[in-house]
Amino acid sequence: MNDNKTILVADDETHILNVVSLKLRNAGFRVLTAQDGQEALDMALAERPDLVITDYHMPLLSGLELGQRLQESPATSGIPLIMLTARGYHLEPIDTRASGILRLISKPFSPRNLLSTVQEVLECLPAGVGGNGGWDL
Amino acid sequence: MGRAKGLFVLTVTLLAAGLIYFALGLLHARGWPAAWPLGGAATACFFLAACGGIAVVALFYFACDRLRAEVRRLSASNPGQIAVPETGFVFLGRAMGELIESAERSIADAAMRAQELEIQLRVATAERRHAEAIIYSISDAVVVTDRFDELVLANESAAQTFDFELAEAARRPIDEVLRDARMIELIRGMRQSEGGSGRRVVEHVVRNNSPDAAPRVYRATLSSVAGADGSPAGVVAVLHDMTREKEVAEMKNDFVSMVSHELRTPLASIKAYVEMLIDGEARDAKTEREFYDVIQNEANRLGRLIDNILNISRIESGLVRVNRQPQSLAVIVKDAMEVIAPQASQKQITMTEDLTPVFYQTSADRDMLYQAVLNLLSNAVKYTPVGGSIAVRISVDETQKKVVTRISDTGVGIPPKDLPFVFDKFFRAEANNRMASGTGLGLSLVKHIIESAHKGRVFVESHVGKGSCFGFELDLCE
Repeated sequence: MNDNKTILVADDETHILNVVSLKLRNAGFRVLTAQDGQEALDMALAERPDLVITDYHMPLLSGLELGQRLQESPATSGIPLIMLTARGYHLEPIDTRASGILRLISKPFSPRNLLSTVQEVLECLPAGVGGNGGWDL
Repeated sequence: MGRAKGLFVLTVTLLAAGLIYFALGLLHARGWPAAWPLGGAATACFFLAACGGIAVVALFYFACDRLRAEVRRLSASNPGQIAVPETGFVFLGRAMGELIESAERSIADAAMRAQELEIQLRVATAERRHAEAIIYSISDAVVVTDRFDELVLANESAAQTFDFELAEAARRPIDEVLRDARMIELIRGMRQSEGGSGRRVVEHVVRNNSPDAAPRVYRATLSSVAGADGSPAGVVAVLHDMTREKEVAEMKNDFVSMVSHELRTPLASIKAYVEMLIDGEARDAKTEREFYDVIQNEANRLGRLIDNILNISRIESGLVRVNRQPQSLAVIVKDAMEVIAPQASQKQITMTEDLTPVFYQTSADRDMLYQAVLNLLSNAVKYTPVGGSIAVRISVDETQKKVVTRISDTGVGIPPKDLPFVFDKFFRAEANNRMASGTGLGLSLVKHIIESAHKGRVFVESHVGKGSCFGFELDLCE
């Protein structure tokens, strides 16, 4: 069921990027990777993934800014985000809504739990989401 | 006066009047004066006037006698203090003397009282000056107002805080002096508060007139002063500047947040890779090997991070013992270069040296200085691409008595905007993040070792794409 889903993973920590990518690939997802916020935005606009997993603290664009840019663009406005953070940020609901953030996961995290969260989020998605809009935040 | 004395006065008066009348009759019989009217109403008037004069003299005598009796009575109750004169007239003189003495005593008492009052006034003035000196010398801003909201007293700190001239502020309404609507409102509110006494502590922000100056945060303690009748007599406001305390608290929070972030990052890798191994996600031996390497490297990173944090904290808090001995920098640099050589050769990086003779020495803690040089060399290797070069040079300035160590590389360089921050804790130039992993504490530790522990100076020069030169300057041994 995961074969046709594309997930974009953005993190400037190579080890985290690799481990998350491998876990998702092993679960049958198509995985795209980016090491900074700008690269992730460009990739998301070009590929229109079904889900974005992003670190909060990244060069060029933070995870929050990435989410906001994605929601502002009609092509990517429905894409949900899962955010990883090592700082235990408290995000205001207004920020999470504006950035399309559905889940906030603190580092250190369990790849196993991350996979469950990804599947849970994707199962809740209305049909047609993935760059075509339709996700009502 | 008793009846007997009255009769006596009357008898003496009539007798004296009769004698005067008889004498006048004798004079008239001898023809002097010729026109003396010895009969009729005029004679009667003359007779009565003579009687009256004699009666006044007699009454005066008896009044003195009465006074003497009174003094005698007093003398009996206070023996030896008052002498009783024998006759009324003598006594009268003495009484007048005593009266004068008494008046003199009163004057002396009044003078003494005036002296006492003057002393009390001097004491009160000294106490007031003492209180003023205390108020003027404390660093907190103090403003004292009266029941009319006029400024009674303020110190220099208050004048600076609220930007007014201290010399011109006394006895002026606070809304003319303070120009701070909220503080004026707080003082008025405190004075008008029920009960006439009390204390209130509030946080108060003072925005300076200068647009560049940042607002300062104060803890304002307002106390209402009650008068003798319990009515509000004024307000004392003391403002303690909390700006620096708040900044320090914020810095501490930021530091904790940064440490937490930096510790979580390698821990996140370790935890994730271990779980992947447990779950069998590494599906071949090569991947498995890679996972173990990641875990080992990240565990080492975590160890270095903790060591660096502890070392910096120890130097910052002054807990670390700096064992300074005359050391040859050339020897220390040489040792560090030998340790770093294998990493450099892995990347085919050429290392060259231009060191001073070993007899140039500096007073230093050998282990600390070795750590600083090692950190600088390690950074140079990390940020220099394969095939680059690193040059280490020590030079001596004999006139300034300084020894300067420079470590130059042909690495990626640091953008000018990042240069001022490279020695800050946890700072990492974003553009170089991908080039190598790091704790963001290595250069901060170098700065602490050189500047805090050895009173030297660190410096950096860099050009993006060409390379960087990190170095430090220390005093030469005498």
